[in-house]
Amino acid sequence: MKTDNPEPNEARLRDLLRSARPAPPLPPRFQEGVWRRIENAEATAEAPTSLAWLDRLVERLLRPRFALAGITALLMVSGVAGVLSGTDTAKQAAQARYLSAVAPNTVR
Amino acid sequence: MRRSLLILFAVVVASAALAFAAYRLAGHLCATHLAHSTDDLGWLRMEFRLGDAEMARIRDLHQGYLPKCQEFCDLIAAKKREVAAILGTETNLTTTVEQKLSEVASLRAQCQAAMLRHFVEVSRVMPPEQGKRYLAEMQRLTLGSHEQIEHRMSGDAPPAHGHH
Repeated sequence: MKTDNPEPNEARLRDLLRSARPAPPLPPRFQEGVWRRIENAEATAEAPTSLAWLDRLVERLLRPRFALAGITALLMVSGVAGVLSGTDTAKQAAQARYLSAVAPNTVR
Repeated sequence: MRRSLLILFAVVVASAALAFAAYRLAGHLCATHLAHSTDDLGWLRMEFRLGDAEMARIRDLHQGYLPKCQEFCDLIAAKKREVAAILGTETNLTTTVEQKLSEVASLRAQCQAAMLRHFVEVSRVMPPEQGKRYLAEMQRLTLGSHEQIEHRMSGDAPPAHGHH
């Protein structure tokens, strides 16, 4: 059955239900506790994201394409440095050889 | 996160080991390859980028200089043996010892003069800039050690281990 003004009835119904099942009083500092729990939950959820870049970096490093490029670059740079160092060593040895031929230690 | 850290650590360690191994291997191979030459004049070709014609001319000069150098070395060695023999029998520094020491010094000076003449001759075979560099380098390498000692003795250079 349709009524012309349902709102007063609904309000009365709510009051009736509330009085039939009374809510227990909230414990002391209930609201503060709720907020604390919310903050803790948020902090726990945020913690892993602060180092998420590390996970992303490792994930990227382990991709075959990146790994291969990294190893190749590393080998090339190290190899070039080794060649430069080896050339220098060989030059010093050759210089010592020439010096010992033309200028023995007795006259130096 | 802990797993990522461990993986990153392993990657860094493995990369360092790989880089070190590649560096040492390349250096060793290069040094072995370049030092394989038994030529006494290999350094000149390598350092001053000389051509075959220049090297041939320098080789002639070198072959001509070696007997002179050997002769001086023998004379100096003989004179030093004389000094050692006299010092072995006498306890005082006699005029004979002083005389022998002067002779050693004189022979050394003659040898150094011959050596410098040879360096000048060799430098003239090279292109002017390289020749200049060669001469400066040889003077530094052969006479430089004496100059350093003299500077230290005269106090021109700061003492390496404080004031004595």
